[in-house]
Amino acid sequence: MPDPTRRTRKDFPYLIQIPTRWSDNDMLGHVNNVLYYRYFEAVVVRFQMEEAGVDWINDAVSPQTVETLCRFHRPLSFPETVDAGLRVERIGNSSVTFAIALFGEDDETPAATGHFVHVFVDSDTLESQPIPAAMRGVFEKFAAP
Amino acid sequence: MSKKSIETRDRYPHFLSIQTRWSDNDIYGHVNNVTYYSYFDTVVNSFLIDQGGLDIQTGGVIGVAVETMCEFNQPLAYPEVLEAGLRVGKLGHSSVRYEIGIFQEGATAAAAMGYFVHVFVDRATGRPAPIPDAIRSALERIKV
Repeated sequence: MPDPTRRTRKDFPYLIQIPTRWSDNDMLGHVNNVLYYRYFEAVVVRFQMEEAGVDWINDAVSPQTVETLCRFHRPLSFPETVDAGLRVERIGNSSVTFAIALFGEDDETPAATGHFVHVFVDSDTLESQPIPAAMRGVFEKFAAP
Repeated sequence: MSKKSIETRDRYPHFLSIQTRWSDNDIYGHVNNVTYYSYFDTVVNSFLIDQGGLDIQTGGVIGVAVETMCEFNQPLAYPEVLEAGLRVGKLGHSSVRYEIGIFQEGATAAAAMGYFVHVFVDRATGRPAPIPDAIRSALERIKV
């Protein structure tokens, strides 16, 4: 697998822009580490709604977050706008792993890289369920070649 | 996904009680996944301040997060009070790996577990700096 720290925006088929906010910076003057996961969540949630068609409220089978990880390579800082890129890294029976990268305004390569794992569960019992077929097709489209 | 082993309370030598807040819950009525990392930040920094004498306003070194991870085992929800368990897994020259478990009050099994890697850097130059003695000896006390 290529070194994720050398990937560029072109390696991520789904990309959104996230404006940072004043309060994202902590007392050291950089975006606090916790907020990177807020950006991860933003790109994953948007992707799941717009591309995979997830309806968080009404779907009988819905995604739950089971694992997240972030490696911090360079600081981000308000007021820059962050590009958050997503690609599908792995598709399991009931889980999908998204590779995420965050780019600052002047960054060619990512300021942070990591992953976000969703497991599809029965919305009532929280038991894991196979990924719905239509969504699996979407994930395949956004998977690494 | 492979079955993972879940961390238990006896594996953590230090605990901090954390009161959840209304806004920790998201639309599902559970603590949002991002918020767990705020609990991680809180238990790590409060330990460094209380036990290691870290001066977050003017100290010569600052801790910079280089990698964090969390596995979510079961949901948590406001208004419960949580306990964050902390231990040191690896202690280097300028870096430390904390291992953290988030527990419901009194629970044996962790609701979430993960790690947090800090590198200490010189506040002025941003270059990696040795972990100060007072902090190092506090970290030694919870090393496993």
